[in-house]
Order: sequence, then structure tokens, then C-alpha cells
Amino acid sequence: MSANHGHAFPHPPTRSRARVLANLPEGHGRRLRLAVPDWPGSQPGQFLMLGAGAEGGAVRRDPLLPRPMAVYRELGGRGDAADCAAGERVIEVLFRVVGRGTALLADLREAERVPLVGPLGRGFAQVEADPSTPDPNATPGPASGPAILVGGGTGIASLYEWARVLAARGRAVAVLLGARSAGDLLGWLDFEALGVGLIGTTEDGSAGVKGLVTGPLADRLRESVGATVYAVGPTPMMRACAEIAAAHGARCYVSLENPMACGFGVCLGCAAPRRAGGFALVCRTGPVFPAQEIDWAGLP
Amino acid sequence: MGGAAVSGKTAVSGADVDERVVLAGIPLRNAVLTASGTFGYGTEFAPFLDLTRLGGFVAKSLTLEPRHGNPPPRIAETPAGMLNAISIENVGVTAFLEEKLPALPEGVVVIASAFGTEPGLYAELVARVTAHPRVAGIEINASCPHVKSGGIEFGQDPRLLAELVATVRRATSRPLLVKLSPNVTRIADMAKVCEAEGADGITLINAIQAMEVDVERRRPVLSNILGGLSGPAIRPIALRMVWQAAQAVRIPICGVGGITNAEDAVKFLLCGATAVQVGTQNYLDPTAAVGIAQGIADYARRHGFTRVADLTGALLSPKGQ
Repeated sequence: MSANHGHAFPHPPTRSRARVLANLPEGHGRRLRLAVPDWPGSQPGQFLMLGAGAEGGAVRRDPLLPRPMAVYRELGGRGDAADCAAGERVIEVLFRVVGRGTALLADLREAERVPLVGPLGRGFAQVEADPSTPDPNATPGPASGPAILVGGGTGIASLYEWARVLAARGRAVAVLLGARSAGDLLGWLDFEALGVGLIGTTEDGSAGVKGLVTGPLADRLRESVGATVYAVGPTPMMRACAEIAAAHGARCYVSLENPMACGFGVCLGCAAPRRAGGFALVCRTGPVFPAQEIDWAGLP
Repeated sequence: MGGAAVSGKTAVSGADVDERVVLAGIPLRNAVLTASGTFGYGTEFAPFLDLTRLGGFVAKSLTLEPRHGNPPPRIAETPAGMLNAISIENVGVTAFLEEKLPALPEGVVVIASAFGTEPGLYAELVARVTAHPRVAGIEINASCPHVKSGGIEFGQDPRLLAELVATVRRATSRPLLVKLSPNVTRIADMAKVCEAEGADGITLINAIQAMEVDVERRRPVLSNILGGLSGPAIRPIALRMVWQAAQAVRIPICGVGGITNAEDAVKFLLCGATAVQVGTQNYLDPTAAVGIAQGIADYARRHGFTRVADLTGALLSPKGQ
């Protein structure tokens, strides 16, 4: 069955009307806490499609398309789960207002409903375990060396659950978060609470180390043996991370953020060029890819 | 149980209405199909809905050989719509017949969509899908607005269109629909060509040729420069074309273009469509088509129609005429 689908969902995605529990400022961004009916749980690195604003009395036709968002945190039975009705589970997404759709999401009020489809795509662990995408730099099987998670801008939101899971498995985890300024280091306190090694960089020096996140990455790789890099952020940042990792003989996974209309493999809008030729759908084969599979020059 | 019976009737609203229609000789359990290129090969939607509850679906357009699409960016959001320039990326007819069709549950009505760069290639493909028992009918894509050759060329030139339809007609005895391009001056003329050359029905409309520009980068948004506009923005244009074509031909019309809900779908039926296809809305709501079918039945009942089929062409004259 999964062979025919072309994708093996750990949990089949559902379409639901998520209930807004909270819509909070998060530095320069927003933290949206949602109670999702029938949410089957997600794997770190998976994403969802969120309607561009609240469901109202009238059908919203503009902006039309849902927005892909990383599943930032699964609160499930923890913390605010007391707010939940039976069958609902609590998740969070982090975002920044970059256009009309995200502006409408920033306006969501408590108890409003927003259409949601997910979880979607393949997360870090699934892609790592996929024998069809072997990494020439790596010995087969799950990685066991140090994990270096590199997040840039809103890409940070893809990394929290992965950091949590890796730390719980006993992997040595370093998290490097980079952004324009202090207010863009989304989720900082959550990462701090994980107790993993955490370094922040800002381009304006308003928090952490002044500069790009790729600087501390190179430093870390010089000190590490058998490390794996997981990088999520703007394309130039991920490409630079991939090149730095390759120069140090470390394997590297990235999570792409191409525009998409559906999120589940039918609009074909999110195609990313492969180094081996042809395209891979970010929504279905990704969003996580071994970095060396991507034809970086072919990405917009 | 009197109260229960009343609430039971509400819960199965529309059950008293005959939802079945016959489109180009294809019996459908309801009037709502899903449009080619917006529904993959069907299995992608299996997590979200029971595929057998659809009237049917038109699969992604096929070519004889597998085909890669355009480089990114391939899509762009526009006011109340979106552009796409995918360019008929598909698995090829062999994988469709051997892998995609067998993966579908029994009872799903599948219409195959054929694409080619010349009539002989369309005909060869159509002959191959005709041989498969799971294919209920064939839609030929004479209208893709964003490939370098083929598709829209046929849909814009009445002589080329006549040659294409006649050639494909000779290759199949299965129900044959022709999906026409809206990028023409007189859609009625193109509809008449299809009817004269033996098509069993017409699908109207494909996406409208369009473009978008990123002013900061001073570049076209799409790598292909031109794309096809779909979504609610095109619905009134699609409706006008269905109405015009319905005045011109007797073969059935499948209406498509910007349908988001049952009210939209009913408009197409009233203007002369026998059935409708839901397209871009599947991206936003993969369960949309099933709800739209239910809503059409509800509309029919509210307006005293016992058969959804009777909604076709039931548009009244403007008030006062």
C-alpha cells in the first residue's frame, strides 16, 4: 500500500478544524497554540497546512491557499492539554508575518477555528532511515554521533521536537540558532529548557554571537567526530551548512520550504531539483532531504 | 421514534433526491468529479475521503513516457486564485495502468486524461488506456496553458482541434470528453468542432493563461513565465463559457473552474453542465468534493427537484423578460 502511495505516512494525515487556544507574541513572531481534533501525532520535522485565517461565516477565497508550517511542539498530554476536549491534541506553530496570509493568522483569536491538514511529509528520522537515500559520507543505519541542529529564522520551528527526541535518546545535541536580531530567535526559552548545548547568533549582535550561524557550525565540526548536521532555514543558509558539513566529512540533512498549494503530493508545485536529475516533491519525499541530493543551483 | 425519524431525515438530507447523472455515457453516482491535475492518481486522497463517494475523478494527464515538469518556481498565489506551470509532470501511461489504477479501491469511477504533442501520440495513448477495464472514460487535454508544444495549440485552432478529436475518436469506443481551453475568442465554435468530430462530451474550462511578476526581483514569478490561472478568480468566466457552449451543442458539458462549494457547482449545472469538476479547492480541502455533492442534493431538495439531473440547464430568464 505504501509503495502505491509513494509515501509511507507514520500516521495518515487528517483534515480538521483546529481550535485556537492561544495566539501569543513570540519576539518578532507569533506562537499559535492549537487544539486539533483527531491529530494523530507527528514525527519531528513533519509539517502541516494551515488555512490563511479563521473560518468565518463567509467562505474565504482570498488569500486562497493554506500556509505550510512546521509542527513546532507537540504538547499532547503535557502542559496545556487540560484545555483539550476529548480527541483533541495540542500543538504549536511559530511564524512571522510576511504577507497577507500570515497577517490573518496573526489576527486569530482564542476559540476561532482554522482549517488544518496534517501531519505531512517525512521527518528527520524517516529520511535518515530510508535506504533509498544513502549518504555516501555515512555508515549505514541511524546516526549515533553528535547531532548539530542549525536553525535560521523561522526554520528554527522545525528543530525543537527533533532536539527534544535526540536528547531523550541520549545523543549529544548542540543547537545553533541564528537570526537577524534577538527578537527573531523564536522559541529560545523552550530550547534552553531542553538542557541541550545552545548557541545563538544574530546579524546585528543584539543577542548571542554577532554574525551568521554558519560560524559556530564550522567551529563545532572542527571539534566533533562523526557528527550529523540538521539544518533548517533560508536556502542560502542551508546550502552553506551543507558545504561546511561536506568539507568536514559530516553528513547533513536539510528541510526545504518551497511554496506549495496542497502539502500532500498533488499540486506538484513544490518540486525541488535533484542533483541526480529530475525533481523531488518537498511535501512528499521531503521536506527533509540528505543535503547532497539537492541541486542547490536549481533552487529559486 | 417520531423525533428520531425527523432528525434521521436531516442527517441523511438529500437521500430523497436522485443524485445520479450520466456524463457522456458514463453513469456517475453524483454530479461531482475532481479535475485532472488537482487529484493526483486518487490514492493521495485516500487518507481524507472515501473515493467511492465521488461521482468520479479525472486522473493527472498522462503522456506515453514519464515526464518531468518545469523547474521551480512552479506556482504562485494571486488574488482569489493561483498560477501553475507544472507542465504535465506524470508517471507515464505504463505506470498509470500497472501501478496507479490497481491501487484504487473497487467502485471508483476513473477518467483517464490524455496529453500529447500531436494527434497520433494522443491516439496511441488513448488506445492503451481504452484497453484497461478500470478506465470509465477518457478526457483529452487539448488545453494545457503552460507547455511549450501540444495541448493549448489544439484547443485554440478549430482545424487542429477537429483533426485531434477525429483521430482520437477512431482510437477508442469509450466515452470521450474533450477538455477545452478558455483562451479562445468563441468557445461555442470549439464546442461545435468537438461535437461534429464525435466527442461524447466537453469539459470546460482549463486554466486561463496568465502571468505574475515579482517587482522587487524584477522577474516573472514563474520559471516558465506563463502559467494557468485557477481558483475562484476564474469561476465567472468558466460559467459564461459553459453557458455559451451549452447553447451551441447537444453533447453534455462538464463544468469546471473555481468551484469552492455546492452553490458554485449548482451555478454550473443551471447554466447547462451535466456534471462538474472540483479543482483547486481540493488543495485547500481534500474532502471538498464529497461535501459539494451533498450540498447539490440539498439544493435540489430545497428547490423541489427530485433529480439532480433536472438541474442541468434549469436557469430561468432574467427577471422581467
